[in-house]
Amino acid sequence: MQQEVVLALLAKEPSHGYELRARLRQALGPLGEAMNDGQVYVTLTRLEKAGLVTSEQAAGSPDRQDRKVYALTAAGQERVAGWLAEVSWPKPDLAEFHLKLIAAAAAGLADPLAIVDAQRRELLRRLRDAQRAAMAEPGRSAAGLLLEGIVLRLQADLRWLEACERNWTVRRSTS
Amino acid sequence: MGKIVLVGRLAARDVRHRPAQAVLLLLAITAATAVLTLGLALHGVTSHPYQRTRAATSGPDVVAYLPVLHQPGHRSQPPSGATALIRTPGVTGHSGPYPLVGALVRAGKLTAGAEAEGREESAAAVDQPKLTSGTWVHPGGVVLERTFADALGVGTGDRITLNGRPFMVAGTAVTAANPPYPNLCYTGGGGCAAGPQDGNIPPGGLGLIWLTEPDARSIATSADPVAAYVLNLKLTNPAAAPAFAARYGSSDSPAAPSMASWQGIAAADGLLVQDEQQVLAPGAWLAALLAIASVAVLAGGRMAERTRRIGLLKAVGGTPGLTSLVLLAENLLLALLAAGAGLAAGWLAAPLITSPGAGLVGTPGAPSLTLPIAGEVVTVAVVVSLAATLVPAFRAARTSTVSALANAPRPPRRRSALIGLSARLPVPLLLGLRLVARRPRRALLGAASVAVTVTGIVAVLAFHATVGLRTSGAARGLGNPIIERDVQMLQIVTVVLITLAVFNAVFTAWATALDASRASALVRALGAAPRQVSAGISAAQLVPALPGALLGIPLGIGLFAAANHAGIVTVPPASWLAAAVLGTLLAVAVLASIPARIGARRPVSEILRADAA
Amino acid sequence: MTSTGEGPVLRARGLRREYGKGEALVRAVDGVSLDVAAGETVAVMGPSGCGKSTLLHLLGGLDRPTGGEVWLAGRSLGRLGERGLARLRRDAVGFVFQAFHLMDELTAVENVELPALLAGRSARAARRRAAGLLERVGLADRARFLPAALSGGQRQRVAIARALVGDPLVVLADEPTGNLDSEATLEVLRLFESLHTAGQTLVIVTHDSRIAATADRLIGMRDGVFVDETRLTGGTTGNLGALAGLEG
Repeated sequence: MQQEVVLALLAKEPSHGYELRARLRQALGPLGEAMNDGQVYVTLTRLEKAGLVTSEQAAGSPDRQDRKVYALTAAGQERVAGWLAEVSWPKPDLAEFHLKLIAAAAAGLADPLAIVDAQRRELLRRLRDAQRAAMAEPGRSAAGLLLEGIVLRLQADLRWLEACERNWTVRRSTS
Repeated sequence: MGKIVLVGRLAARDVRHRPAQAVLLLLAITAATAVLTLGLALHGVTSHPYQRTRAATSGPDVVAYLPVLHQPGHRSQPPSGATALIRTPGVTGHSGPYPLVGALVRAGKLTAGAEAEGREESAAAVDQPKLTSGTWVHPGGVVLERTFADALGVGTGDRITLNGRPFMVAGTAVTAANPPYPNLCYTGGGGCAAGPQDGNIPPGGLGLIWLTEPDARSIATSADPVAAYVLNLKLTNPAAAPAFAARYGSSDSPAAPSMASWQGIAAADGLLVQDEQQVLAPGAWLAALLAIASVAVLAGGRMAERTRRIGLLKAVGGTPGLTSLVLLAENLLLALLAAGAGLAAGWLAAPLITSPGAGLVGTPGAPSLTLPIAGEVVTVAVVVSLAATLVPAFRAARTSTVSALANAPRPPRRRSALIGLSARLPVPLLLGLRLVARRPRRALLGAASVAVTVTGIVAVLAFHATVGLRTSGAARGLGNPIIERDVQMLQIVTVVLITLAVFNAVFTAWATALDASRASALVRALGAAPRQVSAGISAAQLVPALPGALLGIPLGIGLFAAANHAGIVTVPPASWLAAAVLGTLLAVAVLASIPARIGARRPVSEILRADAA
Repeated sequence: MTSTGEGPVLRARGLRREYGKGEALVRAVDGVSLDVAAGETVAVMGPSGCGKSTLLHLLGGLDRPTGGEVWLAGRSLGRLGERGLARLRRDAVGFVFQAFHLMDELTAVENVELPALLAGRSARAARRRAAGLLERVGLADRARFLPAALSGGQRQRVAIARALVGDPLVVLADEPTGNLDSEATLEVLRLFESLHTAGQTLVIVTHDSRIAATADRLIGMRDGVFVDETRLTGGTTGNLGALAGLEG
């Protein structure tokens, strides 16, 4: 979970820990179920240590993280502004897979085509799940949009894997 | 110059690309031009047969009949009036006087009356009949006038009897001095001076026979003596012949000579010709209409394809003018080829019709293919093909390039009423009706073709119905050449019309099947059996054919009435008409099923794949 | 047409389809065997030109194989004549094409009712069934629209409704989303999912992985032969959150 996401959620107004969690859940839809609750609080602690966030204990409430009220510091606000202006895209891990195939072929450890096929199958299964989830969402929900993005990316990845398969088939026949 | 070459090359390549369609177009125009050629050649032949015969036989300008007053026991002599006539100013030549004897002819089972003319064996200066077969008269050998011989069914070498005496037929000939059988006794042509007095003569006209003078006298009996002498005269001014005949001849008293001018004889001769033209002219018109319909269907048949090609041409820089030129050039090329083929076919067929056996009157020799005839035929072929392709060419030139390339043939218009109605009908009618609704103009063309065909057939039936009454009063046994000739002409015209109609039906069905190939493939993919689909395409032809056929009945009767100036028109019996209509519809259904069935055999996946490609 | 219940709905053994002769011989389908159980969705994936469409045409009786045999509900297609095949296409098989292939001059409901009319049902019964199917695919309000007035996705849905008119044993779809944008694809995907839930047997040919992912079984095809097979039922090893960049 990007730290900046949690920061941005506090930009509007200070909130309780549990409110943050709920807002995240709502935005992520079904994907939010898989989210580790503890992750949010770990992030909040880190942010506090870094001085981007302050926390206050509401009077009379027990000392639990979900009851604390968190707010942005000035540095935190700056950070949020900067993050919003960034254009980097979440990185896909193409390089790792690519290297995996080359290493396998070079060392004779496994058939690259088998690796590609296995990966393809896995991605197809994920595509199926994502698609199912997307279709279960009502009309134009925000979560539905997110799932659509996942589906389209998986599609693109699958296309690349098909290209890998073609490429490695030729390589094998010419080697 | 380069543009012409380009246009020519594009057109030629187009034709090579689609040979089947080009061949069909060729056939349609060839059939029509063949009929036209035949008609024109025969017209030339039959229009002035008299002039030709006159020239070939040194025909007389005036024919004088000098009656003989009988003196029993005495050998009859030419009356003295003959010499006087010969010496009349204005007369430059003569032949005769020849004795005329009435004779009863028996040839096999047939009997007929004839006028026998005694002649010299050597050639006469005026009116030497031209032999169409055999040799000239000699003792024991007679020559029959050609049409008479045909009617009797005798030819050179046959044996006949004249007034009981046996003779051999030495030959047959034509003459300009008398109208041919059966118009020999036509008054304008001089009438019959001699005829057998036997009461058993069947009515229907006398024939003309030449024999040697001694033979002529030998068949004269007390009942049938030498009745008159015929004198053939040539004038300095042939145009003045009627005046001459009026002045010196009279038909009042039996003793006075009666005369006929060559103009009168020509008119009598023409009676036969008029009839033929009455048959040929309407026939040729009907044939031309059918040919135009065929060409129109063919030209419109592949319109979608052509529109796309034109779009391509335009996209690569061809002007609208160029594209229309290519289209016209293509069809012009085919029309010229077809005209040539039709000319050849018609010219080859003409002698078959004018051969002696066919009994066409008056002319020796084959019809000639003159330049004017060729010119007319080619012009008609060109006009027919232009007329039919002008509209598509125009439309194609005006289509915007983009829409042409998009290869959208004119999208079928929606006819909700027909679609709703067709849903309640069995599957073939459902498909057929919807096909008709898609292309109403082609349905109209189909209806028109059927109407034209049935018009022709009904006109022929009306002829038979009317003539059937006439012939019952005519010579029994003896042929009537007028009617025979008409029947022959009608047969030819009917055959041609039916051939063209068959082409038409096949073309229309082919065009429909082609146009509907995507739709019919789709419908087959959805579960229609191929037989249902081909039945549907046949139904698409039958639905417009029915009103067309019904319309043809009154039109056919009207056409016959118009052509038959003589007036009496007998409406053919209802059973004949019903047979004609049903026969035509059946033929349409069967013919339509041929291209339909061929199209239905193509695998569906091929068509759908080609469409989606 | 009632299914036999037992055994695969669709079976093929050693299917071959060749075009041309000698050097120009093309083996579009070169020895394909397939079993499709009732209610299953099978997707055949492969690059263009691999013979997927030809295979589908062979399975549905639109084309005759050069070799091999196809059985539908236990009956061999090879024994059927043209009329039998036509009846098959009416009752047992529904086709969905990439190019939709709707009649341009008929409204949506008229397009859908056409197979029923061809099967000999009365105009009223056919119309009723067509209207019902259009409602099923969510286009009841567009029943009287001409295809030209419908979007791509709507047209394909009409085509799918048409394929269902005869209550077929199996629906064969040839690149059903090939001509559609992603939103229209989603519409069609939803429809296929609902058909699948209702127990309709589907065989889909596609090179779109989205469609393929809806299948129970995914078969890869290349150069006229099947090269692999994947069962897509069952969970995935990863979770969706990780796909979105959420660390789990």
